[in-house]
Amino acid sequence: MEGPRASLRRLSPVPYTDPYHDAALYDLVYAKVRDDIPFYLSLARQAGGPVLEIACGTGRVMIPILEAGVEIHGLDLDPHMLAELRRKAAARGLEARTYQGDMRDFTMPGRYRLVIVPFRAFLHMESSDDQIRALLCMREHLEPGGLLALNVFYPAFETLRDKDGVRWRSIEVTDPESGRPIEVYDVSRYDRVRQQLTVARDVIQRKEPGSETVTRLGFSLRWIYRFEMELLLRAAGFARVEILGGFDRRPLTRDTDEMVVQAWRD
Amino acid sequence: MTTALPSPYEAPELYDLALEGFRDDLAFWLDEARAAAPAPGPSARVLEVSCGTGRVLLHLLAHGIVADGVDLSDSMLARLAAKAKARGLEPRLYHADMRDFTTPERYRRVFIPFNGFAHCETIEDQLRCLQCCREHLEPGGSVVVDMSYPGLAYWLDTRTDRVLEVESRHPETGHPVRMWDTRRKDRVAQLQHSLVEIEELDALGGVARTHRFETRQRWVYPFELELLFRLAGYDRWQILGGWDRRPLEVDGGQMLAFAWKAG
Repeated sequence: MEGPRASLRRLSPVPYTDPYHDAALYDLVYAKVRDDIPFYLSLARQAGGPVLEIACGTGRVMIPILEAGVEIHGLDLDPHMLAELRRKAAARGLEARTYQGDMRDFTMPGRYRLVIVPFRAFLHMESSDDQIRALLCMREHLEPGGLLALNVFYPAFETLRDKDGVRWRSIEVTDPESGRPIEVYDVSRYDRVRQQLTVARDVIQRKEPGSETVTRLGFSLRWIYRFEMELLLRAAGFARVEILGGFDRRPLTRDTDEMVVQAWRD
Repeated sequence: MTTALPSPYEAPELYDLALEGFRDDLAFWLDEARAAAPAPGPSARVLEVSCGTGRVLLHLLAHGIVADGVDLSDSMLARLAAKAKARGLEPRLYHADMRDFTTPERYRRVFIPFNGFAHCETIEDQLRCLQCCREHLEPGGSVVVDMSYPGLAYWLDTRTDRVLEVESRHPETGHPVRMWDTRRKDRVAQLQHSLVEIEELDALGGVARTHRFETRQRWVYPFELELLFRLAGYDRWQILGGWDRRPLEVDGGQMLAFAWKAG
């Protein structure tokens, strides 16, 4: 068996870096993603705080919650992302309480009414043991009756067929500084038995006419099927689980739906 | 589960006409049963859950394995008992639900062959079944589950017309018997609904009789199956990719899943 790193290397001799190293570039690439914010913001307002965001990154979700006046703490593995989050929060006159740590093994001083893991970050758990350890740790940090909310993609079967090994433009955004397009090209590999998606990504920036900068990024994710998700939550001790098909809370009925998960601690 | 048409298990003679000739898995189950014996000599006692009309069980018994059977269908068990009697065999058969059965014995191996586990349609069903199997195992014993892997090609096959699943010959007339399957699949619920049509053909190749049934199957993925074993209290587990014990490397074939009770 070959691991994901080996297959990445085979695609190109150029070394790939993880997408969280360059936090400013990360924000440029994902500037348009906003569809999840009302969902998490609404949960945070209902909880009233304190809220813990796991894998908070540069604060795409956390900053709107801070701006709403809800107490929220952020955990992330990557110090570059957390530094960018604090900088952005400070620029808005906000103080972001951040903690560097691993979602499989963290200890916070308090307990939370709400723990959120937005933007598919839970898919960084690439084994059943890691998945369960992370969920156990999240459950530990919930107050009794507290809510865990997260979202992950459901593996869309036509995508697994059509995108496997094909280079395609996955994202196109405009650089707010130069006004020029930033293009993202992905080559995704789907290991269907290991449920592992490995992405080799080129981010192409043209800051000036005629010049082109290519940043090569690589990452892998382990996807999860619906009943598997329920079993993981059970294994971590969550008694009550609800699985939805989108941020509008529709039921999960199609493989193209986003799997939006809510689980309560007793 | 409610369906308008009868289950194929209500017509065991027809079931056998279509499926009795399937032999691809028999050597695997016999090897497993033989390996269950702690030392050369007498066979260990094994249990087959969802034994049906005994396609696997009779093969084991014929080779000297001490094997008991559990099945929910009275009519399937009655046919199994009749076939066994005709061969001078007297297996202990238990008419019971795979989620809730009791036999007085403890076993080295419990087998659930031929997608029998797909009749457990909910997590509760699945866990109750695996827990019940575990209770009937000796310490160190194992449950062995054979399930089709619901691979990408399976899900992408969205044909709504019927598919010829099996063609066999009537043992008495020699005329063809065809089993057709019209499938509806739910990708997220991991369910297949099947309209099963068994056709008996006449000497000229015309359809003499058609029998229609309905059935459902709930598929599982390998990591999901491992989590079920974990939650049902098994000590360790392994999933292979075929009756020839190849590693599980492609989606779409069989999953041969083994889970051991702590020794």
